[in-house]
Amino acid sequence: MTLRKLATAALAFVLASASSFAQEKIIVVNEGNWQSDNGRLSYFEDGKIVSNEWFREKNGYKIGDTPNDIIQINDDLIALSINWSNIIQYIRPDGTAVAATEDVPNNRKLCSDGKYVYISSYGHECLVNGQMETFERGYVAKVDLSTFKVIKAVEVGYEPEGIALYKGHLFVANTGGYAFNEPHEYEHTVDVIDAESMKIVRSVETETINLYGKMSQVGQYLCINSPGDYYDVQGATLIFDCQAVLDGKADADCFVKLEYAATYNCPTPDGKFLAIGSRFSYYTNEYTFNYVTIDPAEVMEYNGTSGVYDELPGTVLEDLKKMEMPYGIYVNPYTGYIYATDAGNFAAAGALLQWTPEGKYVGKWKIYINPGHFLALPPDGHFGGVEDIVAGPMEADPDPNAPMFNLQGIRISRPIPGQLYIRNGRKFIATNR
Amino acid sequence: MNAIKHTSLLRRLALAALAIVAAVTAGRAEEPKDTVEHLKNVEVVASRRPLATVQALSGAELQALSNTSIADALKYFAGVQIKDYGGLGGLKTINVRSLGSQHVGVYIDGIRITNAQNGTVDLGKYSMSTLESVSLYNANRLEQCQSASEYASGATVYLQTRRPNSDSLTVLGGVGSFGLWRARANAQFARKGWSGFLDAEYLKWKGDYPFRYKSQYEDTVGHRRNSDIEYVRVEGALFKGGFSSHAYFYISERGCPGGIVRRLSDKYVNVGREWDTDFFIQGSWHKNFNEKHRFKANLKYAHEYLRYNTDYPENQNTARSDNHYWQNDAYASVSYAFTPFRWLNLNTGYDARMSWLDCDLRRFKVVRRLDQKAVLAMQAEWRGLRLASSVLYQHYRDHTYAHVGAADPLQKWTPAVTLGYTYRGFSARAWYKCIFRAPTLNDLYYTQVGNRNLKPEYTRQWNIGAEYHYNTRLWAASAQADAYINHIDNRIVCLPLKGTYQWSMMNYGKTYCRGLNATVEGRYMPREWTFSLLTSFTLQHDVNRTDPEDEDTYDMPICYSPKFSCGITGIVAWRNYSLTVSDLHVSRRMWSYADPDDVLAPYDNVDVKISGSWRWLTASLEINDLFDVQYEHIPRYPMPGRTFRFNLSYTIGNKSKKI
Repeated sequence: MTLRKLATAALAFVLASASSFAQEKIIVVNEGNWQSDNGRLSYFEDGKIVSNEWFREKNGYKIGDTPNDIIQINDDLIALSINWSNIIQYIRPDGTAVAATEDVPNNRKLCSDGKYVYISSYGHECLVNGQMETFERGYVAKVDLSTFKVIKAVEVGYEPEGIALYKGHLFVANTGGYAFNEPHEYEHTVDVIDAESMKIVRSVETETINLYGKMSQVGQYLCINSPGDYYDVQGATLIFDCQAVLDGKADADCFVKLEYAATYNCPTPDGKFLAIGSRFSYYTNEYTFNYVTIDPAEVMEYNGTSGVYDELPGTVLEDLKKMEMPYGIYVNPYTGYIYATDAGNFAAAGALLQWTPEGKYVGKWKIYINPGHFLALPPDGHFGGVEDIVAGPMEADPDPNAPMFNLQGIRISRPIPGQLYIRNGRKFIATNR
Repeated sequence: MNAIKHTSLLRRLALAALAIVAAVTAGRAEEPKDTVEHLKNVEVVASRRPLATVQALSGAELQALSNTSIADALKYFAGVQIKDYGGLGGLKTINVRSLGSQHVGVYIDGIRITNAQNGTVDLGKYSMSTLESVSLYNANRLEQCQSASEYASGATVYLQTRRPNSDSLTVLGGVGSFGLWRARANAQFARKGWSGFLDAEYLKWKGDYPFRYKSQYEDTVGHRRNSDIEYVRVEGALFKGGFSSHAYFYISERGCPGGIVRRLSDKYVNVGREWDTDFFIQGSWHKNFNEKHRFKANLKYAHEYLRYNTDYPENQNTARSDNHYWQNDAYASVSYAFTPFRWLNLNTGYDARMSWLDCDLRRFKVVRRLDQKAVLAMQAEWRGLRLASSVLYQHYRDHTYAHVGAADPLQKWTPAVTLGYTYRGFSARAWYKCIFRAPTLNDLYYTQVGNRNLKPEYTRQWNIGAEYHYNTRLWAASAQADAYINHIDNRIVCLPLKGTYQWSMMNYGKTYCRGLNATVEGRYMPREWTFSLLTSFTLQHDVNRTDPEDEDTYDMPICYSPKFSCGITGIVAWRNYSLTVSDLHVSRRMWSYADPDDVLAPYDNVDVKISGSWRWLTASLEINDLFDVQYEHIPRYPMPGRTFRFNLSYTIGNKSKKI
């Protein structure tokens, strides 16, 4: 490097350090094309794409084929399910690889309590404690993060998709999505598993088939999409109350079925769901689109007659309608900034769009093919409105009655388990209590 | 005159206006195709007056090429792009001037090979060994008395079956790289005006070839798995005068390998296996009445069965399905040509084809399609000037009990016109053709994908070209060049549905293509030697014109379409020995618009073939991909790289022949 370049770099570094700390740190998972080995991670930070080949740049090799989910496990660890590569890939928040296993083939979605990762799988075998276990239907595997090995697995319905953790229980939405090809029907249950023992404790009959696609969680509530069968059975959304299940309520009282589709959905920091989707039938080849904000508590309370709003913050709704192919929606839990992806025409690069928490359009960035999954990393340094945060152990909720803020200082009434909040000037991770 | 010169004459003959009768006569006079055999002089009287844009390979030159499949011969033609998923079992389709494989009609002896289900022809299923010639026509062939369906595709490939002229029996055994075993037997006869053959082949290929992906970001080595194929092909033909018939039976089992993707070990392999049974029988008869009237009738019945199974314990990633598909196809055509004056020829024809498709997919019910076509065509000439024009009427009507219901009937008129001028060895031509492809039964009715509201996909082609021929006793040379423009509208593609996780067939996209195809051929034939050089060049600007608002894709090259490709084939033959070296160069191709790095590298594929015969024995050695390039047609589907193949055959009969 020439002296001049070095000086420029040094100056840039000084300037960058002097400016504010990064607030918006988003990893976007680009699924790529199936069987083309071109899954990619894009990394976005404060208004710029740092890389559209982030994983490869950090590690010198490609991530694999059709990555399907990403979650943050703890401060040091992120997990990705790379579906067609049959790989669970663990990385650090800086993108460098930690470990990878293929013990859970056909992995779909992930959740974690910080110590274990739980993985839903459409596959029929799993390496558990070094022994191959086989399953007729699909299963959920429990991985010990101290060894990255599967320690337990339990059979659930055919093709289990969404998975969430609430008060020590896993809630698994079964799709039966291979019903089109395999000699079984669509599934219509949510299996409830005791996360400790990995035993099914209950199977909630939802009378709604094919619980497929993205599943979001806000506290005790889940937003579950059902695309129907694309012929006679229309798409629907289930608002599912995990607490009601644990309270032993009757199956029918544990969820409310809404006449909307939630193909792409996400939680918001104030305890709601944003959902975009369409209901489609091959008989008519016609769509019914919906873009909604769902207040799950209100939906449950009024049995679906209230709590669904055909509105999104600011211009988000009209901007989404202009998209060629919406492929994901996300709200940064730390900052409230809203994101969506447009897959475009599937041959060209997709785009990442950003709005402020109020829904003011900020910008659009080119990423890669089929960008469908997001993860926000905790912002660096200071956060607006909140002073004197003591960094410390973040397991315990210091004072359950004190007012609680999210990381941008907005007061929060209903925390999302697993997310960071601030109470009494301390950061903590909300738990399922 | 030796065989090569003779065949080049035959080829030109085949293109002349009155070629059919002459070709039959010449065909009888000719030896079965043979790289090296010398023939007596054959007097060919018809002159070539080129009007159509055509490239052809026949007789000795055809057999001198690597003859694994018809795709091997077609890939050297200008404007041709072969899509190949790799290996002997991999699907091989042909795309001409970027129209798309479904716009290329493949005809055996003038009758189209159809696949009502998906509209494409897997070239790997047809053998070169029974063929006399392979020709590619852009737009129409412009013969007299063509059937209506011969006017119905954007480009046409004609496979002409060889008519035997002697009795013989040949057996062949072959071995090759990666577990290739092959056996073939051919019996043929010719007597009292009748001729025919019976040809049977068995092939087994393990296909576990090694591959390596090496780049800055990976070094993946492995062996291709699940790429095997085993098939039996039996076909026979019977000819007499204006009557020809052909029966074909093919049964195969193969693996369907997937793309090479990141895996941590070899533990999980995605196994898909396919079984095919194809059968057809066809007959054609034509007759002339007092030189002014010509009549032709074709009949064909075809049956196809396909089973695709993924129900294997190794499969962790995919649904475990076992599906069966059945297709039946009955076809009849009549055509009539009338020549009221020497300068005018009129042609009319009517075709009807009934197809049935059934499969055991959920929600699928039998679909039946009646496809009718009628054509009116004329050709006129005045001195060196010639005009050909045609108008084709097509009508499609489907019937199904499926809940979605049948698509509305489709009927369209489409025109084509050609103008040509010939002066001595020089010809110039200009043509226009508009044609569509109807949505296939898969496009319309396939469970969870089909869309019964699809519109046909249209192509419009403009072409101007010229060619020149030079012939002496020792030399034969020709050159041709065609510049063209294609528009394709309403492309039928499978796209994800907005806001769902489903895919569906849709009309989406326009493309614009302009290009230049050129071929230059020369042959020098002193004494017992023949030196041939065949070259073809394609320069093409093939762009997406779908969405002017989308700067990432608009006016960008079509994925997989190379800007430049060329083929060079050199053949040296002396007595009964020949050496062929071919090089196919294909420039870089994009495979996505998302990243400038998403490209397939340019490649050169060099094939070498040496053959020779001694008494009743003929031996040949082929080396494909001499430099082991292992290029890709589809990303992550590596080709086998360098392969060797050795064949030895023994013939008894009244003449020594190589097959």
